[in-house]
Amino acid sequence: MKAPEFNRSLRQLVELPILLAVLLAAFLVWQILAAARAQQVLDASDQITAQIEELQNLFIDQETGLRGYQLTGDPGMLAPWRAAVGPVQTHFESLRTLLATDGQQATALNDLESRYRQWLDFAGKILAKNPATLADPRLNQHGKALMDSLRETTKTLLQHEQGLRQNEYDHARWLFHRELISLIAAALAVGIFLALFTRHHVHAISASYQRRIDDISSQTEALFESQQWFQTTLESIGDAVIACDIHGGVSFMNAVSERLTGWKMADARGHALHDVFRIVNEDTREAVESPVEKVRRLRHVIGLANHTMLIARDGHESIIDDSAAPIMSGTGEMIGVVLVFRDVTEERRMQAALVASEKLAVAGRLAASIAHEIHNPLDSVANLHYLLAQESDPEKRAEYLRLAQQELGRTMQISRTMLSLYREPKAPVSIDLRELIEGVLLLLDRRLKHQGIHLEARLAEPLAVEGFPAELRQVFTNLIGNAIDAAGAKGRIRIRMEHAEAEELHGSGAVVEIADSGVGIPPDIAPRLFQPFFTTKGAGGTGLGLWVSMGIVQKHGGAIRVGNSADPALPGACIRVFLPAHTFAQAAVAAN
Amino acid sequence: MLYSGHCRIGNFPSRARSWVDRRLTRRPVSTPTILCIDDEALGLQIRRTVLEHAGYRVLTAEDGPTGLTLFRGHSIDGVVLDYYMPDMDGGAVAEAMRRERPDVPIMLLSAYINLPAETVALVDVTLLKGEGPTELLEKLRLMLQGRPVSTSGGLSH
Repeated sequence: MKAPEFNRSLRQLVELPILLAVLLAAFLVWQILAAARAQQVLDASDQITAQIEELQNLFIDQETGLRGYQLTGDPGMLAPWRAAVGPVQTHFESLRTLLATDGQQATALNDLESRYRQWLDFAGKILAKNPATLADPRLNQHGKALMDSLRETTKTLLQHEQGLRQNEYDHARWLFHRELISLIAAALAVGIFLALFTRHHVHAISASYQRRIDDISSQTEALFESQQWFQTTLESIGDAVIACDIHGGVSFMNAVSERLTGWKMADARGHALHDVFRIVNEDTREAVESPVEKVRRLRHVIGLANHTMLIARDGHESIIDDSAAPIMSGTGEMIGVVLVFRDVTEERRMQAALVASEKLAVAGRLAASIAHEIHNPLDSVANLHYLLAQESDPEKRAEYLRLAQQELGRTMQISRTMLSLYREPKAPVSIDLRELIEGVLLLLDRRLKHQGIHLEARLAEPLAVEGFPAELRQVFTNLIGNAIDAAGAKGRIRIRMEHAEAEELHGSGAVVEIADSGVGIPPDIAPRLFQPFFTTKGAGGTGLGLWVSMGIVQKHGGAIRVGNSADPALPGACIRVFLPAHTFAQAAVAAN
Repeated sequence: MLYSGHCRIGNFPSRARSWVDRRLTRRPVSTPTILCIDDEALGLQIRRTVLEHAGYRVLTAEDGPTGLTLFRGHSIDGVVLDYYMPDMDGGAVAEAMRRERPDVPIMLLSAYINLPAETVALVDVTLLKGEGPTELLEKLRLMLQGRPVSTSGGLSH
C-alpha cells in the first residue's frame, strides 16, 4: 500500500463513523418530530372533547334554568340560562376552528348548532309566553324532544371525537414502537457496518504496515550486504587506502595501509591523519604538506608530491606513490578525504637499475662512436709517420709534421669532448644549452651525414639552464637519434631553441623543439612512448631511451611534450623539451 | 713471406681466372692502379701519398658516386673503400662494383667497428683504420696477388 492510499484509508476510518453518527442523529430527529406531531394531534383531540363536554354542561345548565323558570315562573331561575349564552357562542366558535379540517365532524357540529338554534327558538317561545302557559304539556313535550335530540347529537359528536382520539392514540403508540425499533435497528446496522468496515481497513493498514516493515528490514539487509561488499573490496585492494573525516581524523584503513603505516585500524580510529600517515620528503626529510589540507584547499583529486616517504609507527620507511581525493556527500558537500597509496620502494630500485643499464648501453654506443671519430685522424697520423720515416726532403717533412700535428689536435679535441661527457658534477651547474646541443650534433654528425639528412639547427642565442650536462647530453642524443631514425635517408630534421617565459606551473627556462620529416607518432603508440621497454625499433632499441630521458628531464624540473608537427614541410614527430633556468635537481645516488 | 698458391677459384672463378691467366702468360705487370674512396679529405690525400710512395698509381674520390664513375672509366686493379660515408656507404658502393666487375678486389678500410655482416662477406679484405701503413700495404699486396688475406684483428667474420 502506497503512502497516499494509506492516508486515505486512515481518513476514511475517522470520517465514515462521524458521517454515520450524523445520519443516525438525523433519523432520530425525524422520529422525534413525528412523535411530537402525533402528540399534538392527541392534544387537539383532548381539547375538542373538553369543549364538547363543556358545551354539553352549558346545555344542561340552560335547560335546568329554563325548567326552573317553567316550574316556578320566577325569572330569577333564568340566571344560569343567561350565564351560559355567551360561553356557548364562544365554544361553538372555538370548535368550528378546531374541527375545520375534519369534514364529518364539522358537518356534525353544524348539525348540533342548528339543533341548538331550534331548541333556542323553542326556549324563546317559552320565555315569550306568560308564565300561565308554561305548563303546556305539548310544548314541554316538544322542548324535551328538541333537548334530547341536542343531547343525542352532542353525545354522537363526543363519541366520534373519542373514537378519533383512540385512533390517534393507537397511531402515536405505533409510531413510538416504530421509532424504538428503527433506532435499535439503525444503531445495530451502523455498529455492524462500522465494525466490518473498520476491521477491513485496519486489516489493510496493518498488512501494509507489515509490508513496510518487511521492506525496510530487507533494505537494511541489502544495505548491510552492500556495506560488507565494499568493506571486503576495500580490504582486498592491493593499494593502501585511508579515509578520514573533514577534520583529518582517520575513519577507515585497509589491511595494506595498516601494514605500511604500522597502525591497526582500531588504534588509529579518530587519530589525526598526520600521526598515522607520517610523510616526509625522501631527499630533504622535511615534512610534506598534509594531503587533507591540500584537498580541502583545492577540492579535487591531487597526486602527492614526488619523493614522498612514509614513516611507519615502528620507524620503517617506504617510498610511496600516492593520491588524495575529496569525499563528496550527495549534496556536493565535502565530508572527508580518501588517500590511496602504494609502496614503490622496490619499483624505485628497479627503475634505478634500468637507468643504470640504459646508461651502460648509451656508453657502449658512445664508445663505438668515439672509436670511429678517433681512428680516422689516428690513421692519418700513422700514415704521416710512415711517410716521414721515408722522406728526406725537409720541406715535405715539415708539411707531414704539420699535418700530423693537426690530426693529433683533432684526436685530442674529440677525446676531451668525450671525457667531459662522463665527468659529471655532483651538483647542478650552469650549462650553455646551445653549446651542449652543438656538442651532441657533432657526435651525431656521422649518422646525419650517413643518412644524408638535412639538418636545420636554429640555435642562435645562447641560453643558460641549470643541471647535469652528461644527463642532458644523453637526453638530446636520444631525442635527436630518434629523429634521425624516424626521418630516414634524405630526411629533414629541424632543431629550434628558444627562451620560455615563466608561467603558472613553471619558472622561466628554455624550450628545445626537435621536429622530423618521418611518419609521425601513431595515436595508439603515443601513450606508451614513455613506458620502459617499449620500442618501435625491434631488436635495435632497448625501449629505455625515452623513458630515461623523461626521468632525467623531470628530475631537472622540466617536461617533455610529444606530438606531431603541424608544419607540412616536417610532417613527423615534434618533441618539445622544457628545461628550467633553475633546478632543484639533486644528483641521484643510485644513478651515479 | 708465406706463399700458399691458393686460388680463390671457388668464390670468384672469373676474377681468379684472369689473375691466373695474367700470371701464366707472364705478361709484364704494369703499375697497379688503386681506387681510394673516403669522405675524409685530408686522410684520403695522406693515404694517396703513402700508396704512391709504395709504387701504386692512385685515383681518389670523396664519395661513392664519384668513385663509381672513376671505377667505370679506368682500368682499376684494386679498391680501398671507406664504409661510413654520406649518401652512399661503402656497402652500397661495393655492391655496385661487384655487379659490374666482380673480378676487382675490394678492401674495406673503416674506423667503424659494427660493420654489417653482408658487407664484410661482399669484400675481399676488411681493415680497421689506425692499424698503420705497413699493415695496409701488406694486405693490399696480398689482395692484389689474389691470396687469401687475414683481416685485421677484431673484424674477422
